[in-house]
Amino acid sequence: MHTQHFPQLESVELIEQGFESFGYICSRKIATAVFLAFQLRKPILIEGPPGVGKTELAKTTALLLDTPLIRLQCYEGLDEAKALYEWKYGKQLLYTQVLKEKLGDLLQGATGLAESVAKLHQFGDIFYSEEFLEPRPLLKAMQQTNGAILLIDEVDKSDYEFESLLLEILSDYQISIPEIGTIKARTTPMVFLTSNNTRDISDALKRRCLHLYIPFPTVELEERIIRSRVPNVNEQLRHQLVEFVHSLRELDLKKAPAISETIDWARSLVLLYANELEEDLVRSTLNVLLKYEEDIETTDNELRSLLNTR
Amino acid sequence: MQSNLVDFIQVLRSHDIRVSPAETLDAVGVTTTLGYADRNLLRDGLAMTLAKTPAEEAIFLQCFDRFFQQDLADFSSEETPEKQDESIDTGQENNATEQSENTSTNQTMALELAAANDPSLKALLQTPLMENLLNNNRHELTLAINAAAQSVDLQKIQMFTQKGQFTRRILDAMGEEQIRDAVIELERAESPTLAVLQRYRDILRQQVRDYVEREYLLHAEGKTQQFMDDILSRTRLNNIEHMYLHKVHELIRKMAKKLASRHSQKRRRLKRGQLNMAKTLRKGIPNDGVMFKTFWRQTKKEKPQILAICDVSGSVAAYSKFLLMFLYSLQDILPKVRSFAFSSHLGEVSTYFDDYPVEKAIELVNWKYGGATDYGSSLIDFSSIALDDINSNTTVIILGDARNNNGDPKLDVLQSIYQRAKQVIWLNPESRRTWGSGDSEMLRYQSACHFSAECNNLKQLERIVDQLLKSTR
Repeated sequence: MHTQHFPQLESVELIEQGFESFGYICSRKIATAVFLAFQLRKPILIEGPPGVGKTELAKTTALLLDTPLIRLQCYEGLDEAKALYEWKYGKQLLYTQVLKEKLGDLLQGATGLAESVAKLHQFGDIFYSEEFLEPRPLLKAMQQTNGAILLIDEVDKSDYEFESLLLEILSDYQISIPEIGTIKARTTPMVFLTSNNTRDISDALKRRCLHLYIPFPTVELEERIIRSRVPNVNEQLRHQLVEFVHSLRELDLKKAPAISETIDWARSLVLLYANELEEDLVRSTLNVLLKYEEDIETTDNELRSLLNTR
Repeated sequence: MQSNLVDFIQVLRSHDIRVSPAETLDAVGVTTTLGYADRNLLRDGLAMTLAKTPAEEAIFLQCFDRFFQQDLADFSSEETPEKQDESIDTGQENNATEQSENTSTNQTMALELAAANDPSLKALLQTPLMENLLNNNRHELTLAINAAAQSVDLQKIQMFTQKGQFTRRILDAMGEEQIRDAVIELERAESPTLAVLQRYRDILRQQVRDYVEREYLLHAEGKTQQFMDDILSRTRLNNIEHMYLHKVHELIRKMAKKLASRHSQKRRRLKRGQLNMAKTLRKGIPNDGVMFKTFWRQTKKEKPQILAICDVSGSVAAYSKFLLMFLYSLQDILPKVRSFAFSSHLGEVSTYFDDYPVEKAIELVNWKYGGATDYGSSLIDFSSIALDDINSNTTVIILGDARNNNGDPKLDVLQSIYQRAKQVIWLNPESRRTWGSGDSEMLRYQSACHFSAECNNLKQLERIVDQLLKSTR
């Protein structure tokens, strides 16, 4: 196992700049996390409310390093056959059928059962070798020769048993397959795990990861994000809309609007040729920001006071 | 610096952040990668390895600031508080303002003048301690205080009552005695420089006091907290004073969390259901289509339910409150809980807990059902409301002192519950010795319970809930 060298990850500042060139504006803390994860070869467990760019971070890192992104979406009932590997049963079956005839040739000259079995033993377990292995995302990430980004998305959705399955991969970058043995990673992949905190992740898993909590961004940071993602919004509107979203987050909502919603909203405002926030405009586009009817109603009542505070 | 890091991790542990040795190693890795030059970078990096939840991160940040902000306040510029703050922020440079430099030089001059006529004072001024004070050499002074603190084992400080003692010992170790003697001397001589020297002495004392305070917060606050928790969990619940109630809430939440994580493994006892044809076929492929092993669709076991019946009459109300609080704090992992409250009559109170936060709901329940106890009619009420729902998956918990005011105990009603339910648990806050004395019907009721226990402090309560969780899965 060797480790790929990436000049893009030399320092925290370089990472920040690199991310920015791909339109991902991040706080210092996030860049530090990526830097440490690379230097210490540790996975990052990213937590935070939905839509703050957890998955995006992994994607951008893959772009920055120009390595393949291998993604494993977790869900209830995910098991090793879908996450790690499976045997190619069809191929095994086909091969046994085809090779049946060959068997007679091989055993020619052997007298007695014991001798035949001994002869057969010389061939080893050819049907349980790597050629018959169907790699699933986790194994695939181990097999990449030039490094890879492994994104294990929404790990909190998976079962407890699956978490234990991850432990070996996350601490030693290896997978044990009973029939073959241990497969070590050719190069250590960078691993990102994301969680929406629907349940507590086990201590064992947390211990193996760097823990990064991404909160909603500050006004200043979010404005930079909007500037990079939706460049054709004028400055005044940008400031207004970010301020408005921030005041929304302070309300008691079922789901507070995240960065992705702010970006969507900014795009819609551009499409509507808006130059500043007007009450009617906000009211009619509120459904871009808020995803629950109750939230829209709550906000509707307070819209005037929210807009007038500035 | 590595030992410093280990000390810091000790501090974190005393503040309830669990840091394993492996994480300590990671932290060392982080410090060597990031270096010590950028404080914020180091803080973020360490936070990622050591704190695993947002709550822990908040504690971590607090501890980090306390631990690594060891510089003393700039005492020569006390007259200009803003400047003082600034110089703390910028770090360890001796950037005393010009103005304060002037005043302090004036004072130094006065002292030196006085010293010229007084050999003992002169000797004092030449001690390193006094020199540091006079020159506002905060860096040296910090080092001196650190060394003195180390020599008196300040890190072992446990209780807030020890603060004064440790301050004294550090001052002694630094040689403050000489200044003290000199002050007495000057007092006797009624020297005009007395005030100046006194000021320096006070500054020194203040610095050491602050230092001890900071160290106390770092090392002992957590321990004191643990000590308090320990005592509270052993105190009889109705003896806990009102001012500690909020602490008890917190403690219950903590215990509930501990139990929750111990029992949060998913309920996995499943029943065999329909044949899973697809899986059976798939698993048969390696065997050339022979289905050696059959797989079954599994149906989840029916969820067990808990019925909690609580006496809320004056004598037992406090206990009921804590039991309910415990049960509802565990709602995530406990099976469905329904609660009933009674004194003279009984009613279901589950809806209160759905509608209000636990503390508020308990208040409402007490207010609605408080009064004189009548177990007999309450049991009849209960069986008319809920007897039909009791089946072999039901656990019934009754909390009460079984003091029936000499009324009819209606034992047969409890027996019918006993026969239907999976288990009936009776928790009695009275000690076992008094069961059956006076109007207590406990011995009789006990005959119709699977399990009865004395339960009057949090430790016992925790143990019982722990057992309950084991038995319900």
